[in-house]
Amino acid sequence: MRGVLGGLVAGASRTTVVDLEAGLEHLSRGTARYVDTLLIVGEPYFKSLETASRSFALAKELGIGQVRMIANKVRTPRDEDSVREYAARHNLPIATVVPYDEAVVAADERGMALIEHGPASPSVAAIRRLADDLVMSGGAPAGQAGR
Amino acid sequence: MKVAVGGKGGAGKTTIAGTLARVFAERGQQVVAIDDDSNPNLALTVGVDRSAAATLDGIPRDMLTERTDPDGSKHLVLAVPAEDFIDRFGVPVRDRLTLLVMGGPNHGGSG
Repeated sequence: MRGVLGGLVAGASRTTVVDLEAGLEHLSRGTARYVDTLLIVGEPYFKSLETASRSFALAKELGIGQVRMIANKVRTPRDEDSVREYAARHNLPIATVVPYDEAVVAADERGMALIEHGPASPSVAAIRRLADDLVMSGGAPAGQAGR
Repeated sequence: MKVAVGGKGGAGKTTIAGTLARVFAERGQQVVAIDDDSNPNLALTVGVDRSAAATLDGIPRDMLTERTDPDGSKHLVLAVPAEDFIDRFGVPVRDRLTLLVMGGPNHGGSG
């Protein structure tokens, strides 16, 4: 169905958010070409950051315009420092830092959408700021994927 | 805007993708959330029951067409405009937000 995904991302005139297969190995050039922004989610420990770093390299090969990291499940200032330090050293721009949040766990347990279970939770607040940033830093308007 | 969210399993990409889609829709954008994970869970994080979100494995063949690449490999591609396809096979989640689930394990085996 890779060709189908590419066709959907290319042809949709509305805002498109794709939850990709874990790992980027399945991402085709056909799909990558039409993505304005690829967000790579990583956690604040070394192996996860290494994986994120490899994904950045792969995304560059695929020619995706804007690739940014989301540092997720960040528990402490020390976590945040270590993510930022790693990201700076490896030249991985950080889109946002999402704090570790019990609301995510609770929403999962109840099979609920996070935004319904904890609309004012810290993680949702971070994702709202991310949405603002994405709009501001212009992902090109839908249908005009910028290159 | 076309955003893709990737990462290792368990890192939280589905929660972030689903919540991001909800936030865009809240802010007045028309949004399609596409679940391309072989273990599809995006339905829950955008706020619909998983059973309501059928996958695309069983779509009518006249919606897709087979294309042969110069290297001889074959791919299924859309035979109709993307927006028509989303309207027809997407699951309405709430105002302005539609969910499309690509498929289960191996995406129906059609690469």
